[in-house]
Amino acid sequence: MATELRLRGESHTLRSQEARLRGHLEHDLGVHIRFSPFDDVRALLVSPQTDDRGKSLVIASDASAAERIYLYVHVAAHLALGHHLPLVTIVEGAPGLSRLEDDAHAHRAAERLARAMWWENEGGLGAPTGVQRSAVLRGLVSRAPTRSALHGVLIALRAAYYDLRIERALAGSRLASWLRDALCVTAVVAAAPQLSD
Amino acid sequence: MRIRDAERLSKAIATLGNGSSLDRLVDRVYDLTDGSLALDRATLHRIARGKTQIARAIDSPEECIRLYFALMIVGCEEELSVSTVVEEGRAILASFIGDPLADLIFRDLERTLPKLSDRATLREYLKEGLRVWLPN
Repeated sequence: MATELRLRGESHTLRSQEARLRGHLEHDLGVHIRFSPFDDVRALLVSPQTDDRGKSLVIASDASAAERIYLYVHVAAHLALGHHLPLVTIVEGAPGLSRLEDDAHAHRAAERLARAMWWENEGGLGAPTGVQRSAVLRGLVSRAPTRSALHGVLIALRAAYYDLRIERALAGSRLASWLRDALCVTAVVAAAPQLSD
Repeated sequence: MRIRDAERLSKAIATLGNGSSLDRLVDRVYDLTDGSLALDRATLHRIARGKTQIARAIDSPEECIRLYFALMIVGCEEELSVSTVVEEGRAILASFIGDPLADLIFRDLERTLPKLSDRATLREYLKEGLRVWLPN
């Protein structure tokens, strides 16, 4: 499966979070995950008649790690709400595309639960624990202008961190850890603003 | 399985195969269903020519649905339009006797197909449907 993922210059924290959540879906929720090129669909969840059998999630191969994280949390919310049974295929369209009315209610409910999962770590699918309870960060990423500015600042700090060759000095520090987690959360919410308040 | 409309089924197979030889269709159906649908050339030949009312090689609703999915995937691979693949696939399913599973799958198709606008997505949906709904 990993060979199907496109390699990209994403942070290690983001990729490790993606791998953690993917593992959670695969091992704890019985979701087989693979990647495929799609035009205007971001993900498909194909489900069996009963929940004790395996499910299959196909994600657009051009989805970034941040978007994949959002899709894992969102799909987990659909599963928790039982929207996939019996034998109901859930189609995640591109952000901003209008949904069919029949689906709109289910997707809204899943968005609400996904938000709780992400910020409250419901079901073990939350944001990195270092920043999960940070009201300041949550407030900053909840509005597009501050989210965008924060994202830019954190990316610049990350570049400086490596360019100035200070990573060895700061690697184990709480500040560096907090900034790494904050960048991960900001990137995910930037990819999926519906996770913000 | 008894074929309800042999002529329509024959036309659907010809359309989805898009001129492919029956040998190729047999091989592709075998591969797509991981060998679970061992449709021999003679049987497919009889079905494709509309020469039989009984398909003994397809002796359960699951096998009929496997054939339905596999031939729709072939239609996607032959780059037919989504509407053609869906229409001809539906004709294949309608040509066989349905059951509760077929009804559920058909209901999901009815709900899901309007959301799948491109052929690549439809093909992935059909492949996963085969894998999840009809595991070997």
